[in-house]
Amino acid sequence: MKRAGFATRWLPILLLLPQLAIIAVFFYWPAAQAVQSSFYLEDPFGFGSSFVGFENYTHLAGSSEYARIAKFTLLFTILVTFFSLALALLLAVKADNVIRGARTYRTLLMWVYAVAPPVAGFIGLLMLNQTWGPLAELSKTFGWDFKLGVNFGDTASAMVLVAVWKQVPVNFIFFLSGLQSIPKSVREAALIDAKSSFRRFWDVTFPLLAPTGFFLLIINITYALFDTFGVVDVLVKGEPGNNPMTLVYKIYVDGFRGNDIGGSSAQSVILMVLVLALTIFQFRLVERRIHYT
Amino acid sequence: MKNIAISSAATLCMLANTAFAETEITLWHGMGGALGEAVNDIAEGFNASQNEYAITPVFKGTYEETLTAGIAAFRAGEQPNIIQVFDAGAATVIAAQGATIPVQDLLEANGVDFDIEDYISGLRYFFADADGKMIGMPFNSSSPIMYYNMQALEAAGVTAPVTWEEFETVTAPALKDAGYVALSQSHLPWIFVENFMSRHDLPFATNNNGYDGVDGTEILVNIDPLKAHFTALIEWQDEGYFEWFGTGWNDNQTPFENGDVAIWLGSSGSFGGLSKLDLDFDFSATVLPYWEAVTTEPKQTFIGGAALFAMSGQSDEENAATAAFFQYLTSPEVQYMWHRETGYVPVTEAAYELATADGHYGRFPAAEIGIQQLSLDASENTRGYRMGFYVQIRDVMNREFGRILTGETSVSDAFNIIEADSNELLSRFAQTQN
Amino acid sequence: MTDTRQIPVAKRPLKWARVLDHTILILGSLFMLIPLLMLLQTTTTTDLETIKNGPELVIGTQLDDNFRAAMFTASGFSGENTGLRMLMNSMILGIGFAMGKIIIGMMAAYALVYFRLRFATFAFWLIFTTLLLPLEVRILPSYEIAQKLGLLNTYTGLILPLIASATATFFFRQFFRSIPEEMVEAARIDGAGPVRFFFDILVPMSQTMIAAMFIIMFVFGWNQYLWPTMVTTDEGMYTLVRGIKQLTQDLEGTSIPEYGRANMLALIAILPPVLVVILFQSWFVKGLTESDK
Repeated sequence: MKRAGFATRWLPILLLLPQLAIIAVFFYWPAAQAVQSSFYLEDPFGFGSSFVGFENYTHLAGSSEYARIAKFTLLFTILVTFFSLALALLLAVKADNVIRGARTYRTLLMWVYAVAPPVAGFIGLLMLNQTWGPLAELSKTFGWDFKLGVNFGDTASAMVLVAVWKQVPVNFIFFLSGLQSIPKSVREAALIDAKSSFRRFWDVTFPLLAPTGFFLLIINITYALFDTFGVVDVLVKGEPGNNPMTLVYKIYVDGFRGNDIGGSSAQSVILMVLVLALTIFQFRLVERRIHYT
Repeated sequence: MKNIAISSAATLCMLANTAFAETEITLWHGMGGALGEAVNDIAEGFNASQNEYAITPVFKGTYEETLTAGIAAFRAGEQPNIIQVFDAGAATVIAAQGATIPVQDLLEANGVDFDIEDYISGLRYFFADADGKMIGMPFNSSSPIMYYNMQALEAAGVTAPVTWEEFETVTAPALKDAGYVALSQSHLPWIFVENFMSRHDLPFATNNNGYDGVDGTEILVNIDPLKAHFTALIEWQDEGYFEWFGTGWNDNQTPFENGDVAIWLGSSGSFGGLSKLDLDFDFSATVLPYWEAVTTEPKQTFIGGAALFAMSGQSDEENAATAAFFQYLTSPEVQYMWHRETGYVPVTEAAYELATADGHYGRFPAAEIGIQQLSLDASENTRGYRMGFYVQIRDVMNREFGRILTGETSVSDAFNIIEADSNELLSRFAQTQN
Repeated sequence: MTDTRQIPVAKRPLKWARVLDHTILILGSLFMLIPLLMLLQTTTTTDLETIKNGPELVIGTQLDDNFRAAMFTASGFSGENTGLRMLMNSMILGIGFAMGKIIIGMMAAYALVYFRLRFATFAFWLIFTTLLLPLEVRILPSYEIAQKLGLLNTYTGLILPLIASATATFFFRQFFRSIPEEMVEAARIDGAGPVRFFFDILVPMSQTMIAAMFIIMFVFGWNQYLWPTMVTTDEGMYTLVRGIKQLTQDLEGTSIPEYGRANMLALIAILPPVLVVILFQSWFVKGLTESDK
């Protein structure tokens, strides 16, 4: 694809240098370092290390604890993605329908985007405190004795709730934007053809939103896997104990808290491979999208 | 004449300046809030007491964060002079030979008298090596003790239990009838494993509780007395005698403060905080109960909390400053002040005597329990433990105990897992030391 | 044939579908808002009240006191970790990060789009790969490298490693490619060199995009948690969001938790990014949806 451009030689190199330098130092070097460290067991002070080959990996493969965390991460990702997308879609469709107060609703529903995950977790602590949390008390009236930090399932539910609360706004913005960009002619045609708003939605709107939906799927999965670190950390109050945690949190616990460099590096590499696979999958989808748009 | 005057004035100025050029040292610690203020008070006192040295305490977050920051600083060549390391991190710091200078060596090299017998019995050996040389200076030491709600026990018509047998047959049922949950505790591994072993005179790990070296150290928790204790815990939970509020320390302390729980197992250091709250009841404390079935001669507990370590790679002047600070810190007056303000036990016998003479324990009997418990009979199983990756081992214990108490797993399965996972961690730690 | 939908609004009978829409939207808005309101309520009462009863329906009188406590009191020897200091650090992080990303991104995108470079494709892929691995999977080696370079507890160390991903570069690359090529031709005819083209034509054209990017990046930088947690252990360097970790730690301590101060700080941590997002809504939404690949 020939593009018009300038012919100066040195300027573009100069312009690219800062970007390349930063990613060389803070992306490629750490990534390589993680791979290297994963083959050793090192003393944190740097006084000694043993080369252990793939032992760090086999240890993880055989660890029931790691399997448990992986399973929870999977379940957590599915739940958070599903509920964040479903709720956001519902709200976006409704917001698109109403005329009065549309802008107000949009503001009210999207501001949570700017709340940091750990702060969301902090608010969660407030709402779900064992002794006086309003949500905990509310759930007791429904017969659910909510015990944050004691019951694995309860703590997991809290994490999902807070993570969904934080993520709905992003999805909402994209869905609403997607809905509002559906051409008027299509909407009017749908109004005439379809019998009910329900059919209208499934037959016309939903397929048109599918590309947005796919894109958001990847965004949400990445969010659930990585950005929820703050939510997990605050809700477990820094004590892993018998609490649910995600794979990325385990890296932090083992590496930063437990000073096990080799083990946490191996976990990092595993996650790197996972993300790589996910992105390749996404790009295959995007390629197909380009073909039918 | 003028020249002489000027040059003498100049010389005097220079001398004065040299006299005021203090050697500065830093202390990294993990004590927040009111405890941090007490640390600041000590630092200010030290700085004011002489003008050769000046110390600056820096708060670095939790114990884990402080240790990790210290390790990072060490690798970058920017380590502090003194770092506070907690019990679970002791093995990491001490195994890395070359990271710290043993406190005993430092003091003796700088002409400060050192006799380990000056220190209260239960404090001497936790941060020492296999030969009994003190490597870390115990700083904020505490031991688990039993606090109880005096009104609650009166209402139930019982006294604080001496044995667990007494608790389950007499104390707990009576408290339950009086409308209380009898028991809660704030740290399962510390209170119900580590100090359980010590109190019942049981070995905690091979290699002399790990003091003899890292190779081949294995944990010895998978034993009947401990499993029986946890089986009893589940039964008590079912009966309503015991409730577990999660792994968080405060989550288990709050119900006691609210008056819902009658007996709480906490730290001797909790005394300070509890006194400052406006509780609806009077509280007191006593030593931990034990199982008569396991031993009829219960022993002392050992210390938790943290110690101060002198990091290596500093100049001689700074090491002298560090030694001077340790000397100041262990003086009876300073120890008494620290003990009074925070509730942590004084580390020296002299300080203990000073507190007694001052009538401190007449005013606050509960403040003495920790020291008394640390001064009970000792044995080779009561010095403490030295295990690597111990933060993770405690996490394993917390996880499995949580599963036991929420009915996810059986006691025997849980202990098998704890033993297997802990030994795996210990052998991996041994590999990092090559 | 008459379309019943043409009936003027005033006389239209109540459509239950619309009522349902509004109900759902109101419920959604409440879901988003109530936690914040509870947080706000706890900042108006004393700590002892909060400990005993949690959030209630009373508005207390402590707002001013708690605000002062949060902003101006500090613990620690250096007396440095006041709310004010943390606010300043958050500002520095947010603004510094946003500026860094935009400047470096624009420069690199410009180089990639408007020049003929032999190794352009190679550079492109190098930069592209950084989108694959979020910071969390390389967090520990990044920490070690920051420590080796002496960047711990510095603003450079706080901001620079976060810039090592290509999101802004891609955004601007996409935008530049959408600018008609005639502009470059016209500039060349006028005798303008690459630098003049950039500053006189490209930058003014990109103003909306720059604004949108700035908002998104500012919020992202402000809300960073994991990286500041590791890189800053000096109290004077804490940001508001990183301070949340400290607050949760204090609440788990053995003295009276300072709920008023903690909740106030959480509130202050939320306000600036939320205000930015609300006040500049349209730019923000545009920027977010335009960065869809």
